[in-house]
Amino acid sequence: MGLALMAHNLINVFLPFTGINGGTLISCPSSQLGFRGIKHSDKLPVYSSFRELSSMVSCRAVGSNVNEDTDDMFDDLFEKHGQVVFSRNDQKPYGAEIDDDAESLAFAVAMAKVANEVKAGDIKVLFVKPLVYWTRFFIIATAFSRPQIDAIRTKMADLAEEKFGKIPNGDLKPNSWTLLDFGDAVVHIFLPPQREFYNLEEFYANATSIDLPFEDEKPFRQ
Amino acid sequence: MIQPQTHLNVADNSGARELMCIRIIGASNRRYARIGDVIVAVIKEAIPNTPLERSEVIRAVVVRTCKELKRDNGMIIRYDDNAAVIIDQEGNPKGTRIFGAIARELRQKFAKIVSLAPEVL
Repeated sequence: MGLALMAHNLINVFLPFTGINGGTLISCPSSQLGFRGIKHSDKLPVYSSFRELSSMVSCRAVGSNVNEDTDDMFDDLFEKHGQVVFSRNDQKPYGAEIDDDAESLAFAVAMAKVANEVKAGDIKVLFVKPLVYWTRFFIIATAFSRPQIDAIRTKMADLAEEKFGKIPNGDLKPNSWTLLDFGDAVVHIFLPPQREFYNLEEFYANATSIDLPFEDEKPFRQ
Repeated sequence: MIQPQTHLNVADNSGARELMCIRIIGASNRRYARIGDVIVAVIKEAIPNTPLERSEVIRAVVVRTCKELKRDNGMIIRYDDNAAVIIDQEGNPKGTRIFGAIARELRQKFAKIVSLAPEVL
């Protein structure tokens, strides 16, 4: 695989999509090809379909000699190395990843607690890291009026800045769907109709829901 | 490179099918919109019996362009179509789901669209 990759500076990965859009072309220098599948798994080494990639690269790398020999060669490599193609260079050690997750979890739970203090309803914390690469936790809450949304938003932003040193990105005014992006955690505050309309929980139904400490203490009823 | 008169596909389930750009929001005489820019558009084609109708003027965010998007690390992304997501005046998407892959550059300003998208590149 290494040989095949070295032969080309650029690797074009074509991702066919069904539906309206035809496809997407991503090209990048092979030195930076920290290729991770878009649907992320929680496994640490990054696996890619060796056969798919090799079939694309090998035909150009080996040239006219594309026949059973190369297949045999790849089969040998398969047996020798398994299906691991390569892993990212900037991969953190396993422990660091868990520490980061724990830190974000503490932050997410703290945010959920703030929402609970301001009497937001139906608070959910979802661990979405296995599903999307761009964040770790979703905090979804319902507020019943715009002033309440504003209260939750300012209180969360203040606490995040004071305790965790994070400044949110996202909506600056109370909105029917207010989003606060803290990087590792994303807070969604909805008015009840919007919550039903966008139905984020259903979209992220595969995410693990985190149990919240205050839920047992005083269950909130609308 | 989206400019007035460009036709775009709609990448959400709001009910519109095709848009035509009529204005780019930003500077006073801006020529082209890129991924992440807001445009004013008119609906050219819509699915019957949906809230949006033909010839309605709306705002939309460009999410895919045929023109390449370059990143600082050398990565280049280009799509097969020009597509946009319809938003309201507050910036909330009109549809509830987004179709197809979108770029992570949208996260800065339109994290809501990113959180509804099935794939983020």
